[in-house]
Amino acid sequence: MKKFLALLLALVMVMALAACGNKNDTPPAADNPPANADTPKDDTPSTSDPAPSGEKIDINVIAAQYGQNTTQWWADFQSEFNKTYENINLTVEVVSWNDIYTVVNTRVSNQQAPDILNIDVFADYQADDLLLPAKDFVSEETYAKMYPAFLDQSVVDGTVWAIPDLASARAMYYNVDILEAAGVEVPTTWDELKAACEKIKEYDPEIYPWGIDMTTDEGQAAFAYYIWNNGGDFTDADGNWTLNSAENVEAIEYAISLVKDGLTNSDPATDTRYDLQDMFGTGKVAMMIGPNSIPTYIQEGGSTINYAFAAIPTNGGNPSVSAGVMDRFMCFDNNHSPEKLEAIKTFFDFFYDDTRYSDWVLMEGFLPATSAGGEIVASSDPSMAPWVDIVGSCKFYPTAKSEWADVKQGVINVEQQALLGGNVQELLDGLQSEIAG
Amino acid sequence: MSKSAPAAPVKQKTAVPAKQNSLKRRPRSAGAKALRRIEPYLWIAPSMILMAVFILIPIISVFQMSMSDVSKAGKIKGFNGIANFTKVINGSAFSLVLKNTLVWTVAVVVLSTILGFVLALILNNQFKGRKIARAIVVFPWATTLVIQASAWNFIINTDYGTLNTLLIKLGILQQGMNWTPTPEAYFAWEIACGIFVTIPFVTFCVLSGLQSIDTSFYEAATVDGANYWQKLFKITLPLVKSSLTVSTVLNIIYVFNSFPIIWTMTKGDPANHTDTLVTYLYKLAFYNGRQGEAAAVSVIGFLILLLCASVYMIYTLRKGDDM
Repeated sequence: MKKFLALLLALVMVMALAACGNKNDTPPAADNPPANADTPKDDTPSTSDPAPSGEKIDINVIAAQYGQNTTQWWADFQSEFNKTYENINLTVEVVSWNDIYTVVNTRVSNQQAPDILNIDVFADYQADDLLLPAKDFVSEETYAKMYPAFLDQSVVDGTVWAIPDLASARAMYYNVDILEAAGVEVPTTWDELKAACEKIKEYDPEIYPWGIDMTTDEGQAAFAYYIWNNGGDFTDADGNWTLNSAENVEAIEYAISLVKDGLTNSDPATDTRYDLQDMFGTGKVAMMIGPNSIPTYIQEGGSTINYAFAAIPTNGGNPSVSAGVMDRFMCFDNNHSPEKLEAIKTFFDFFYDDTRYSDWVLMEGFLPATSAGGEIVASSDPSMAPWVDIVGSCKFYPTAKSEWADVKQGVINVEQQALLGGNVQELLDGLQSEIAG
Repeated sequence: MSKSAPAAPVKQKTAVPAKQNSLKRRPRSAGAKALRRIEPYLWIAPSMILMAVFILIPIISVFQMSMSDVSKAGKIKGFNGIANFTKVINGSAFSLVLKNTLVWTVAVVVLSTILGFVLALILNNQFKGRKIARAIVVFPWATTLVIQASAWNFIINTDYGTLNTLLIKLGILQQGMNWTPTPEAYFAWEIACGIFVTIPFVTFCVLSGLQSIDTSFYEAATVDGANYWQKLFKITLPLVKSSLTVSTVLNIIYVFNSFPIIWTMTKGDPANHTDTLVTYLYKLAFYNGRQGEAAAVSVIGFLILLLCASVYMIYTLRKGDDM
């Protein structure tokens, strides 16, 4: 009996091992069965073979999970798409932001790249010649819908390699009641901002007048807010890194001075944007720069504070610049057959259908990347209308440059070193020489 | 265990039915003999395959990656020798991160071992509610580290932390205090959290050792006039030494590789001042996209731990020889 049990156990273990080696590497979207559950699974990799006539064309997509509604939205999309196009078998795998880079990099290193990827960065994949130019996988009609300024963010060597799926923009949020009680106007310049912070501090020392996030999560956003609104930038017009420009040094010194003067949250290196949003929602923080999704966040948190938003304060007469964050779709060059490329184009035509696309954008409270989507979103939700205007003119991180990941972590490190007493000029000089050589 | 023990299980010699015994005495065929010879290997094959798949292959893969030029998209572009190791070791943050790792490991392991030992001594006494007390000690162990770290963050938070709320309500503080004014202070809190979650493991290791000590030793020592400290150092400590050694070596490995506490509380911020090798390599791999360098850090950590494990193995083998 014991031998039989041991044999059974060994058999189970061997079967488990065999299961590990299953070649089917495209699991269905989390929590949702594949739309065509009764269709026999195809064990051959779906990446390269042209589909013989009569067989379905497989398209697999990895999509980032933006929030709690994303998985269900994609499951519905997949189901609807597969019903509409019976010759295509679409599989969408929704992956959380925490895991998506690991998942994609593992797939790439195992030569199992997805056909379509929805993520924020593309330059690393383009640098390895893994991507197709956008015009190869998007129909002309759909391509024409995109805001040109957005497409420009995905250009390397004169070619657009990715298309935007959505965006978010930033503005300064302020607690109307606190500002009124402290007797300050909404600040528009850095001098006014500092004066307003000091008055709020005098009014109630328990309130943090200004919220700053210099954490590993989003410290690069703080860097961008201050340098862009002081006439500085990450790069010059020719695309050369200008991290240690005089404007940038002045901007970061100003931001650090706000912290040192006790006008901000106590621990900007560990207080994330979400911590700040929570504190703003409870009236602990009077002003902060944040994304267009803050109203939804505050509403869902049950907060009843009286707040509004305005342009980000600037210095030296520079125009106020909003920071834009944009995510993208890209198509991996998996030696697709002409039929498969047509199927991929069909996928994007279906996704960017005006009504469906505006539904996608509104699903998690983001901003559209197409002009038609912008009009629909602005008309369906009046509170989004000013944001649609802002997003059309905001600046973006230089994510098309392959050094961006190092620059992003580098500027965060500079901010945190400066918080610990480091010299901003020396720190930015060091970063510039490390990045630009 | 006897050194000459056969690899295959020995059949029980007693209570074997006569029929079975007579079958056993029959001369075996060559095939049966061969099967008998390879049988032990067949039985351990699944375990060996599992270990190879889940332990050996990843280790080889990390070593390979640490000596490769890996693109940010994860493509291995070729062998680059020790370039990744040189880059990592010459990096401005590495010495700080290595120092943090050693401080973190030594502080958590030493303090949790001392406190766990003391707690085990207390729990080994007879008192009312001992079972409940033992159950309570398990709680920190049974809760996931991310939850533990989040709870500690919630306790020490300057703005909404429960520690400040409690002290204000007790009248000890007039207003909330910043418990993490410096990176060192934050790191100390992380170490405190690490100790808190490690104590139960030490306690139960030591407790199992304490319960195996024959009480006659203590009775004899009492008759001889030994005091509490003499009994502790001459009887208890020598007899729980093997339990303490096991818990200490395992803790060195667990704590050295611990990721969730530091990642949840500070993510190694500010400016790597609370990073350990594990959080640092995670940032290198998934924030900076430098997977080759991250693999090099992983190999360095592996070699440090291998050294610790070797010390343990030598100790264990010597002990085996003595037996």
